[in-house]
Amino acid sequence: MEGRKARRVGKISRNWRQPRKKENRDEDAIRLYQQALALQPGWKEGLWYLGVLEFGKEQYAETSDVMRHLVALEPKAGPAWALLGISEFQTRAYQRALDHLQRARVEGLGDRQELAQSVFLYTSVLLTRFEQYDDAMSLLMAMVKSGSAPEPLVEPVGLAALRYPFLPAEIPADRREMFRMAGEAALAVEAQRPQEAEKIFGSMLAAYPNEPGVHFLYGVFLLDSHPEEGVKELKRELELAPFNTTAKLRLGDEYLKEEHYDEAEQLARDVIKLEPEHASAYMVLGEALVAKQDVKQGIAALETSRKLKPDTVRTHWDLLRAYSSAGRAEDAKLEKEEIERLRRPDAQQ
Amino acid sequence: MVAVIPLLLLLLVFAGPSSATDSPPSFETIAKKADQARQADRLNEALTLYSEGVRVRPSWADGWWWQGSILYDQDRFADAQAPLKHFLAVSSKPAPAFAFLALCEYETGDYDHALQHFAMWAKHGSPGNDALLDVAGYHWALLLTREGKFNPALFMLAAKAQKLGARPALTEAMGLASLRVAALPENYPAEKREEVWLAGMAAVYSSLNELPLSEDYAGRLLRLYGKETNVHYFRGTLFSFQKQWDSAAEEYQKELEISPENAAALVELAVARVEGFEPNEALAPAKRSVAIDPENARAHYIYGRALFETGSYQQSAQELGVAKRLAPESARVRFVLSNAYKHLGREQDAKREQAAFLALKDKEEVLAPLDEKLNSHAPAGRTQ
Repeated sequence: MEGRKARRVGKISRNWRQPRKKENRDEDAIRLYQQALALQPGWKEGLWYLGVLEFGKEQYAETSDVMRHLVALEPKAGPAWALLGISEFQTRAYQRALDHLQRARVEGLGDRQELAQSVFLYTSVLLTRFEQYDDAMSLLMAMVKSGSAPEPLVEPVGLAALRYPFLPAEIPADRREMFRMAGEAALAVEAQRPQEAEKIFGSMLAAYPNEPGVHFLYGVFLLDSHPEEGVKELKRELELAPFNTTAKLRLGDEYLKEEHYDEAEQLARDVIKLEPEHASAYMVLGEALVAKQDVKQGIAALETSRKLKPDTVRTHWDLLRAYSSAGRAEDAKLEKEEIERLRRPDAQQ
Repeated sequence: MVAVIPLLLLLLVFAGPSSATDSPPSFETIAKKADQARQADRLNEALTLYSEGVRVRPSWADGWWWQGSILYDQDRFADAQAPLKHFLAVSSKPAPAFAFLALCEYETGDYDHALQHFAMWAKHGSPGNDALLDVAGYHWALLLTREGKFNPALFMLAAKAQKLGARPALTEAMGLASLRVAALPENYPAEKREEVWLAGMAAVYSSLNELPLSEDYAGRLLRLYGKETNVHYFRGTLFSFQKQWDSAAEEYQKELEISPENAAALVELAVARVEGFEPNEALAPAKRSVAIDPENARAHYIYGRALFETGSYQQSAQELGVAKRLAPESARVRFVLSNAYKHLGREQDAKREQAAFLALKDKEEVLAPLDEKLNSHAPAGRTQ
């Protein structure tokens, strides 16, 4: 019985190779794979090729079903997670797509460069849609550094930079140019072409002076070279979008540098009121309080920040210094160890 | 042939040097090995064993449950449905499985059955842990939105927002329901994304009582999409939530300039007028809403109430009678109806309705299972 079944599967699996050599025979191949898999549902190679063929025919729901089965059998199969995530993206199951694309990155994609690039791009646009703008931007900039063509990245970078939770396909038609400008400017900054960035920012501000995000982005750009102008732009942003917590925190951070601790503390508290689990807000608050010699409350805020986001090196540095000044040598030592751990190449940042 | 495969696989699993002469493993052995495999996270092996276990003993509820549960966890929603259905048939405590089955049906696009099974789950008291309550409640609300039952959907989503905060998925769901877009997050037009997002943010923050933040998003929504259907209606509902009746009425009027046949806007305009102590102003929009959407319980209720407030007790009782038929669990309908009967000298009827009101009052506000609350809202007319 078993031998007969194996022979049938073998015959079917040999047959599919012939149709695949010819164009427009994918339907036949799909049918043969399905027949073989009906006989042997755990045939991993068959599941993979069936999924690839269905993906090629843009049958994304079917691809998802097949890949789900495959990853259940082979949970370390990075490419299968990738195909699953991309298919789910196409069927607009975005949360699941993001989870599975992240899993693909964890499991690895071998030498499949093209697939890896797709996974990075889909992951980054989904991170933006789920309001994880900083993570999205890090991924996009990593793609730039690894030599990805910049054009497909312009709109994703623009969306993450202006912090709008849309996919490129969801950009409002009347403001597509604004997102493109933001993307081009951010890419110019990344490529260390500040004059080009300045020029694009100028055009963007002239065309979209009242859109939330625009003054924030320009302000952040200016903070390095012209901090006073940068602060002005961030304040303008907060006039237009008074609840832009990222602008508040960036401004608070600048105030810390300028030793305006009261203003920094107030901005951090504003953000915490709006977003009680905002790790960076607690970090800025902690830094401001420690700087104002309120070490006890400062440490409490920094510890909250550490709890909310344990992998932020800056928080551990802050705590190391704060513990040291409070005479808590043992705690300071632990922070130092944690910093060293986080700086190791294998640490998940 | 397919049915033979589990047995073949099982034979392979148990195959040893002397397998040809061994007797088949007992049900107890299979069940024990299945549980051991599951607990050791060898889920594919567990699936095979559970499937063999239920073949040997079809009444084995745990076997069906774990089979369905593992497949659900693997996102294999089509495959999970059969074992979950078997579990429902053989288990003495099947209730949580209704929610899992409904979720599987949602994921495979079988929306009508998903709605039925969510309702069954609610009838059993919506049992389950926090995670199940959150996921099931969220998906049920999505389906209610798709059905055009926007108010109950918002009722459920607002409760989730109060518990979980402004999560992106909740925001999108609230945006759709707030703008009365009868669609799922995965199939509404991409060009509506910003409008839905802004409405969702305003709705979520309103339900969190973060009113300045809600106002900020609502202001952006109006600035960018003030000419789109239901945007002014939604703005009105935010004002109504804050009991700013004049501002609310103004927004509903603006909505009616854009979509004159918008029954929901007519109903809420009438509500705002009645609540704002201008019942005469409520009569015309309420009457029109009833004509446009005759199966809308809230429309009949507010028309009946406006008639009552303006002294037309006979007509009021008629309208409230229709509202009662459409929403028999609504305490407020019974309350006004009781008063209308009193004015008409129908003491026995008034007493009966008063008793019904008292019986329903607490239940409606506190104790009613979710499905009863949902039934108390008649389906709103689809506007899109």
